[in-house]
Amino acid sequence: MGPPAAICARLLSKSYGAVAACDAVDIELHSGEIHGILGENGAGKSTLMKMLIGLVVPDSGTILVDGSPVQISDPVVAASLGIGMVHQHFSLVEALSVWENVALGDSGRLDRTAVRGAVGEMGERYGLHVDPDARVADLPVGLRQRVEILKCLRREPAILIFDEPTSVLTPEESDELFGSLRNVVEQEGRSVALVSHKLTEMLGVTDRVTIMRNGRVVERCLTAETDAGALARAMVGRDVRLRSGSRPSARASAEESPSTDTRPAPVLEFRGVTVAESRGFVELEDLSLVLRAGEILGVAGVEGNGQRVIADLLSGLRSQTSGDVLVSGEVIDVGRLGATIRAGVAVIPEDRHDSGIVLGMTVAENLMLADPAAIADRGVIDRAAMGEMARGLIERFAIMCTGPNAPMWTLSGGNQQRVVLAREITASPKVLVAAQPTRGLDVGAIEYMTDQLRQVASTGVGILLISSELDEILELADRIVVLYRGEMTGEMSRSEATREKIGRLMGGDLT
Amino acid sequence: MSLAVGSGRGTGGRVVEVVTIYVVCGMAALVFSGLIVEAVGSDWTDVGKALLNGSVLKPGRWGGTIGVTIPLAMVAIGTIISTKANLVNIGQEGQLLVGAATATYVGSRISAPGPIVVVLILLAGVLGGALWSGIAGGLRYWRKVPEVLTTLLLVAVASNLVGYGLKNPWLLLDPEAKLGNRNMVSRQLPLDTRMPRITLWGNEISISAFLAVALILLVGWMLSRTIWGFRLTVVGQNRRVATRFGISESAHGMIAMFASGGFAGLAGAFMLTGGDFANYRLVPGFSVNIGWVGLLVALVANNRAMAVIPMAFVFASLRTGSGFLASTGIERRVTDVVQGLIVLALLLPPAIMFIRERRRALASARSRV
Repeated sequence: MGPPAAICARLLSKSYGAVAACDAVDIELHSGEIHGILGENGAGKSTLMKMLIGLVVPDSGTILVDGSPVQISDPVVAASLGIGMVHQHFSLVEALSVWENVALGDSGRLDRTAVRGAVGEMGERYGLHVDPDARVADLPVGLRQRVEILKCLRREPAILIFDEPTSVLTPEESDELFGSLRNVVEQEGRSVALVSHKLTEMLGVTDRVTIMRNGRVVERCLTAETDAGALARAMVGRDVRLRSGSRPSARASAEESPSTDTRPAPVLEFRGVTVAESRGFVELEDLSLVLRAGEILGVAGVEGNGQRVIADLLSGLRSQTSGDVLVSGEVIDVGRLGATIRAGVAVIPEDRHDSGIVLGMTVAENLMLADPAAIADRGVIDRAAMGEMARGLIERFAIMCTGPNAPMWTLSGGNQQRVVLAREITASPKVLVAAQPTRGLDVGAIEYMTDQLRQVASTGVGILLISSELDEILELADRIVVLYRGEMTGEMSRSEATREKIGRLMGGDLT
Repeated sequence: MSLAVGSGRGTGGRVVEVVTIYVVCGMAALVFSGLIVEAVGSDWTDVGKALLNGSVLKPGRWGGTIGVTIPLAMVAIGTIISTKANLVNIGQEGQLLVGAATATYVGSRISAPGPIVVVLILLAGVLGGALWSGIAGGLRYWRKVPEVLTTLLLVAVASNLVGYGLKNPWLLLDPEAKLGNRNMVSRQLPLDTRMPRITLWGNEISISAFLAVALILLVGWMLSRTIWGFRLTVVGQNRRVATRFGISESAHGMIAMFASGGFAGLAGAFMLTGGDFANYRLVPGFSVNIGWVGLLVALVANNRAMAVIPMAFVFASLRTGSGFLASTGIERRVTDVVQGLIVLALLLPPAIMFIRERRRALASARSRV
């Protein structure tokens, strides 16, 4: 098996109630290698990594570091054994500067010059340049992640775990990250574990891949000896269509048939919508767009360029400074409580925990949010009807949970997203806003979500697809608008769109 | 939210474990209480007997305990409503006092047939309490002033305000009382405006007990079975989701705040017309900590409406039982200590369970190395 294992887990198991998150998992991470851990949401990748870092205590099994058995009871122990982790959700203090964040967790006297020097030196060595004096709050996501990585690297870990590191990065930022990872591995002989569900990353970056499904390891292979189809099959357990392979034919032919003379009526219109923050910062500037029934309009752009404001407006969580929002030809006051939902706007929010679901309530209660009156009689909830409604949706959308009364927090991310989807679709909306609908989902779930969105559009619902993943936009959208710093930098039909063209517009390059 | 709870072991074993922990904690509270009693030079069996005699055993005593249970339960059920909306109302003591004062004012001014006056007194109590908590609620939703602070500070305002009322005959002071500090009392409620009392097995209880039980059942049902209760819970747990689905945070929050203060005010009105406190008069310090203890009841009832009744009865028993402590030669304040220990005994087990689960997981992991 090549070089000796830096860390080795034998028969690790962890169950939550009746569900086995990890079931007798064996894994070895070698020095000088990038080891990919691939799997769908809920496959047990995160649980496995949390056991290695001491956030979760295994029910059974052993962990060996450099050949000797160890007990990793918490992250401090893990750090002392040379295991570090860069989490998907950053643990940075926004109000502090970069070097202060890097120094967090140190004991003894704080040596400002040394830490700042280390930030600069490591930045040089790994290609992770960050201004040590910048405030973290002012940094874009990509740079924040660098800070997180520097923080981790300064502890000189022998084993470095990355949990879905690219979910918030632009393609260029991802490439840079992987370049630095290569350095870390090849020049310094560290071991890197890369947890991801993106096949392209696995193929392009790793040396070795372990594929998990339903808490078990289903396949181990050398990256050089596999391909995307094989990986996807192993991960999902069946054949799947891969996004890159599907898009051209179906879409192109649909567009060539010129049905433009009888264009369907607009269901959503923005007329010169501007949103300015109280401090005067303009988040959305003079945006005008039209979404027609049955159409999927893609809103492309690097995250943080105004997409979130659009979703918040249509969720009734913000209101515009000027301009009009029209649904089915009627101006609606989005700031008025419940106005958007009454007008028939459904939203799959970007951050479901923020405005999509109530974690402390049950699946059934989350499903009834959109229209509680449907299962109530004069304000009194009909328990039987509620259970029936929930069971119906759980079955129809294949939501994996123990039943209608399962607390929402017990569901995996993908299944929580299905609850949101089920609720929003069954509300029979005129407009469906899907903001980053496949973020954090695995190929199987992405395929499902994509199919559902297409199907919803075919029933005459206008879909506003807000996404920072170009592939998603190119696959689904009929028309595409591009946002840059709150302004629309381009609008085109799918047939005119190319990756390069959109990429330039996303970066604000209008030439 | 501990995921660790319920790992692997049978539910039967778990139930036994939970019950055991509660029993052990309860026993520990009793043992500590006993030790404290012994330490101050008294006999714990005597004290225990006195408490039981005073609260339930001696003839006529449990009626009095129920009389204390009623306002405690009312305060607690109101607290549960505000907690559901994620509001921290801790000013029940003041809301209760204001409710009692408005009830007194109405009771001493309105001349109408007795039953009508009783109803008006209760309504006035509700309105007074709701007004007082409404101030805090209004500040919360108008200017984002934390309700934790305002409700608490308004307690002091309430007691001074009521004190002022009790010095002025045009407000609350009994015109026939002699002026001076010792005579800050309101006119006694006439006989026909008092809550009827019935006798059961030698115990007199005010019929407000039945009303109180009905109200608790109603609130419990409304919170768990109606759309209103559902919306209130959504507002309390995720206000952005609430806003997105057109559920008004401020409207629901204000209603919860009004209801919570209204119940405290109703507790005050029940105390006034019920006869178990202060002999149908408003006096300084009328609220006698019922508002604070009611908060504790809500805390140990863990925000379950149905648990309010037994918990309120336990806390009421300590209070009425302490009346018999004088014969044992021990300070009745010792019941405050016992009360604190009981609260701890009821709040600790969930924490202990969590720690035990984690320990167990660690130990089993360690044994394999």
